[in-house]
Amino acid sequence: MERVLVNIPSNPLFERVVRASADEVGQAIGLAPERIEDLKLAVSEAVNNAIEHGNHLESSKLVEVVFALDAEKLEVSIRDQGHGSGPIDFSRRIVEEQNLESGMHRGFGMYLISALVDHCEVSSSHGGTTLTLRLYRKEQSDE
Amino acid sequence: MSDVIQREEFGEVAVLHITTNSVDAISAAAIELAATSSAMRPITVLDFGNVAFINSAGISSLLKFVVMSRKAGHKLFAMNLSPHHQKIFKMVEMSRFMPTIEERDLASYR
Repeated sequence: MERVLVNIPSNPLFERVVRASADEVGQAIGLAPERIEDLKLAVSEAVNNAIEHGNHLESSKLVEVVFALDAEKLEVSIRDQGHGSGPIDFSRRIVEEQNLESGMHRGFGMYLISALVDHCEVSSSHGGTTLTLRLYRKEQSDE
Repeated sequence: MSDVIQREEFGEVAVLHITTNSVDAISAAAIELAATSSAMRPITVLDFGNVAFINSAGISSLLKFVVMSRKAGHKLFAMNLSPHHQKIFKMVEMSRFMPTIEERDLASYR
């Protein structure tokens, strides 16, 4: 297994650094262009969540991202240095008419992550929350 | 009109060309600032031709245009969305509020 590690301070600007890394890793392992776009968006959402909700934008706290590659899959773990999270809601979120005026527009991120990767899981403790995303390098078969 | 949007107007149409390639948490504030009633016309088109990336923070900022256009009774469209972004807009049903339009459909207004 090969690993690529990217640590960023909790500044949303540096989410772009992780996203660029996801792009490079996706290309390096030969993911299809559309899968790379899915990967970039899922990683972006996870990193922004770690920055905002995990580390509460405290730039002294790091978001640690590990891209772990093997012959079968790419696994990306995104870890914050917060105090853990409650249950995370991955259910479908859409733009809803009744929320337009109130500006309650957020909450698409977790749904997008779960819909765009093959598998995702969360582990959380008082030392932080880790979100792990998995993309298989070849399309999974039902056989 | 803004660091991230260039405005073009003809007849009843305003085309707002998004000039940043990343519609995300960093560009969101500037995008929201550009969503004013004076920027819009009865037909307002957001041009995504230069946009390579949109995430949920970016989608939230784009919803400001939806709110402003609905208040004014204007029609809002998206143009030059990549297939990936069309997929994402469908997933969150953004496409209900900002359907896509082709550049050739605007020709009759010029």
